Amino acid sequence: MTSGKPYAGILGWGVYIPRYRIKAADIARMWGFDLTLVKSLNIEEKAVASVDEDATTMGWYASHQALIRCNVDVNDIGAVFVGTESKPFAVKPSATVIADALGIPHRRLTTDMEFACRAAGEALRISIALVSSGMVNKSLVIGSDTAQASPGDVLELTAGSGAAAYVVGPREDSVAYFEGSFSYVSDTPDFWRRDGVPYPSHGEIFTEEPAYFNHIINSVKGLMEELGLRPNDFDYAVFHQPNGRFPLRVGAELGLSREKILPGLVTPWIGNTYNASALIGLAKVLDEAKPGQRILLVTFGSGAGSDAFSILVSDKISESAGRALRVTDFLMNKIYIDYGTYSKLRKLLERL
Amino acid sequence: MLSSNTYIISSALIRVGRYFNKSYKDLIRELVAELNKDLPIHDYIDYVVVSNVFSDSILEQLDISTMIIQELNLTPKPAVRVEAGESSGLMALKYAHSLIKSGMTSTVLVIGVEKLVEYPTTVVNKYMVRLLNSDVEGRYDIVTVNEAALLMKLYMKKHGHSREDLTIWPIKMHENAVNNPYAQLRNRITKEQVINSQIISDPLRLFDVHPLGDGASAIVLTNNKELMSKVGTGCVELIDVLHASAPPLTHRSDLLSLPASKYLFSKLGNYGVDLSDCVLEIHDSYTILAYLIVEELGLSDRGKAPYVVTDIKNINLSGGLKARGHPVGATGVYQVAEVHRLLTSGLGSIKLNNSWGLVHSMSSIDNNAAVALIRRCG
Repeated sequence: MTSGKPYAGILGWGVYIPRYRIKAADIARMWGFDLTLVKSLNIEEKAVASVDEDATTMGWYASHQALIRCNVDVNDIGAVFVGTESKPFAVKPSATVIADALGIPHRRLTTDMEFACRAAGEALRISIALVSSGMVNKSLVIGSDTAQASPGDVLELTAGSGAAAYVVGPREDSVAYFEGSFSYVSDTPDFWRRDGVPYPSHGEIFTEEPAYFNHIINSVKGLMEELGLRPNDFDYAVFHQPNGRFPLRVGAELGLSREKILPGLVTPWIGNTYNASALIGLAKVLDEAKPGQRILLVTFGSGAGSDAFSILVSDKISESAGRALRVTDFLMNKIYIDYGTYSKLRKLLERL
Repeated sequence: MLSSNTYIISSALIRVGRYFNKSYKDLIRELVAELNKDLPIHDYIDYVVVSNVFSDSILEQLDISTMIIQELNLTPKPAVRVEAGESSGLMALKYAHSLIKSGMTSTVLVIGVEKLVEYPTTVVNKYMVRLLNSDVEGRYDIVTVNEAALLMKLYMKKHGHSREDLTIWPIKMHENAVNNPYAQLRNRITKEQVINSQIISDPLRLFDVHPLGDGASAIVLTNNKELMSKVGTGCVELIDVLHASAPPLTHRSDLLSLPASKYLFSKLGNYGVDLSDCVLEIHDSYTILAYLIVEELGLSDRGKAPYVVTDIKNINLSGGLKARGHPVGATGVYQVAEVHRLLTSGLGSIKLNNSWGLVHSMSSIDNNAAVALIRRCG
């Protein structure tokens, strides 16, 4: 699916990562996983949301940071989207909670979106369209997840918690603008959670070649073809990060060097934050990016689909970076917990 | 004119692999398209014997041989499925051989097919348990890999081998598979990779166990000499297929002996088989089993197999179960097809002048075993 001519960019960005961390090796020891598995996934530790945190609280905090960064009047925001697969309520929007808590006026589009880990990526494309068409002036896109994993499933080594928020607005006001975007989506059952089931199922190796790699490679190739760009034209590449290994592998397949991927690779220290995964990676890159640099952002969601964006950094970036908390502030602010505490915080144990 | 001998006149293989978007019918259609290049199989096949283990569990399909006949538009030809655990491939061959030897039929198509990557490993392992005794291993969720791990520990302890000593087999298998276009894992590996790979069942690591893959292979067996000039890339003679069983592992006095295989290997002299002039394909589902088979074959003293493996020529040139892969019900048919190719038109770029071919197969830790004896055509 092609993009048309976008006239939108990023005005502000913000993230939230919970303070608690559990070492992946602790989870592996708990369940008897071989430690070479942890090493092969390139995962050190993951962020764990506390008992009083969920997709809405984390999404609110990230949005608050994004709004501080761009100093946008909340009255100008005409749309709020939350991409999540861990809604606190199965029926009742999370986006309305966050939008009202931020004081965004009620004359707005507001909805939750679900497409495994890429709903926020699609929300970003919808926002580009809304802003480019003039239908809304500014849109707030949030990716927020307290990722679930069955205790003892290999997924538990990586399923983390975190949120990222982006204010999308007119290109001329932006710190980085979208040159183009491209989506590639199919019916591929690589990972799913049925209604009423607490934890997701996945198809092991099926999540790799036919899912993650196939969709990402097709969205990136589609984007490059449409914009006439080559791998060398990008200064950074940020991919969805289910673990610390896949982004480097898919990058290598696409001809993007490790040096371009490592600055935006955050999963080894916070885990896979699902809808926030690529977007926290992008935030970390924006924290350090220089005007004129070009960033490749690629989301992926099981089911399956991928969105690729080409983002060009503008002169306004330098004043924005320091206005709110940086990703590294969150990465450094951490408290280690053991598996028992983690079980309590993630409600793996039921107390009568 | 019909011969009193039975010949393998053609073979077809697809690369063992993960075929997420292909059904077992798709895989077989590819095989048959290859066979049809010479002459449509419909014109000369009398009978179809299918080797498959997990059709009723993984594919939720019984009477798979009839489904295949219908799919291939081969009605009213008869077909049957043969299942004898991991030896199914050679047992299908034995069934086909018996049909021809008895004079009941003349030309038989033997198909081996298995789809394993339809489900995650956890699910497939639940079905793999069924290869063992459901009242014993089944009750405790013990799979063959767990028993192989115990044997490997015992072998290391009894014969004083380090873990590193035992890495030579998988390294050799991956090296061999590089030259086999139909192998699943066509990459070289190092000693370090083997000993640092993930533990599957201590001390067996990832590179000590066969991969999971889908596969399909076929051979045409006949006593019709006229057919040989019209079909295939050269013939070999199928001398015999031997089959034996063994007591359960828990009842064996010597755990490092493979009674069924041993019994079959003791019969080789009756056929005048010369192992030094033989292409061997053995059932190396787990590293330790390769060493035990080599010792049972008399190619090494007890406990010394890891030291002689490097010098044994023409053993598992396909890469073996370790690297060619082990699509369970199809494996035996792959082995026979590979030996047919090696002695006739070549497997990839490898072509041999040996007089004999020996294919060995067994189920679990030698619960049953089978051997196919193949000889170059006069």
